[in-house]
Amino acid sequence: MKLLYILGSILLLSLVIIYYKFNPEVYNFFPECPFHKYLHLDCPGCGSQRAVHALLHLNLQKAMGYNLLLVLSLPILILQLFFKIYAYFTKRNLVLRFWYNPNTPKIIFVIVMIFWIARNLPFIPFKYLAA
Amino acid sequence: MEDQKPQEQAPFGQPPFGQQPFGNPAPKNWLVESILVTLFCCLPFGIAGIVNAANVNSKYAAGDYAGAQAASAAAGKWTKIGFFIGIGVYVLYILFFVVLGLGGAMMGNYR
Repeated sequence: MKLLYILGSILLLSLVIIYYKFNPEVYNFFPECPFHKYLHLDCPGCGSQRAVHALLHLNLQKAMGYNLLLVLSLPILILQLFFKIYAYFTKRNLVLRFWYNPNTPKIIFVIVMIFWIARNLPFIPFKYLAA
Repeated sequence: MEDQKPQEQAPFGQPPFGQQPFGNPAPKNWLVESILVTLFCCLPFGIAGIVNAANVNSKYAAGDYAGAQAASAAAGKWTKIGFFIGIGVYVLYILFFVVLGLGGAMMGNYR
């Protein structure tokens, strides 16, 4: 388990370096989302790679332009990450109770679906959501 | 914020005989992992994970511990499928480029 964490951290770090150094808009060795490639529609995760690149360069506005959902979910995900690290080092089995509220997954599901539909609408307020 | 969720009383009726829903911690609901898969890999699996996470939480809150465990297993299954397909797409793509790049370099030698 410990080895897995170490390997995961190394992988994550190398991905961070790759996404910091190379702009996915310029270099074409980044994989394209299959959903976007074949259906020409945006999925909830489309634009994540460019958004990560923008975020690593601390360009929040650009990142929001690529994938608003990713940027909005970032605070919760970071909170979860620190919580996990804290639980690991204090060796306690801690869980964020928020995730186990019966309504949380439903709300997240609704947000993801609305985001998915909205970013594919070709009108002007929704066009800003497109990747 | 911390510690396990205190077990709520079932809304009505007794828990099924021979089961102890209360006192068992909630099974892992894979919600965070599903969100990550939705955002970074291929989506239908991440969304299936979120739906199953919803099942885990509502069944657990209703005292149906066996149902919650089944939903937890389903959530884990979909999340892992999404994760590995996502990783697979990445690896195939990178391999494709490495092969193309090497091929291009070899061609270059012959010219």
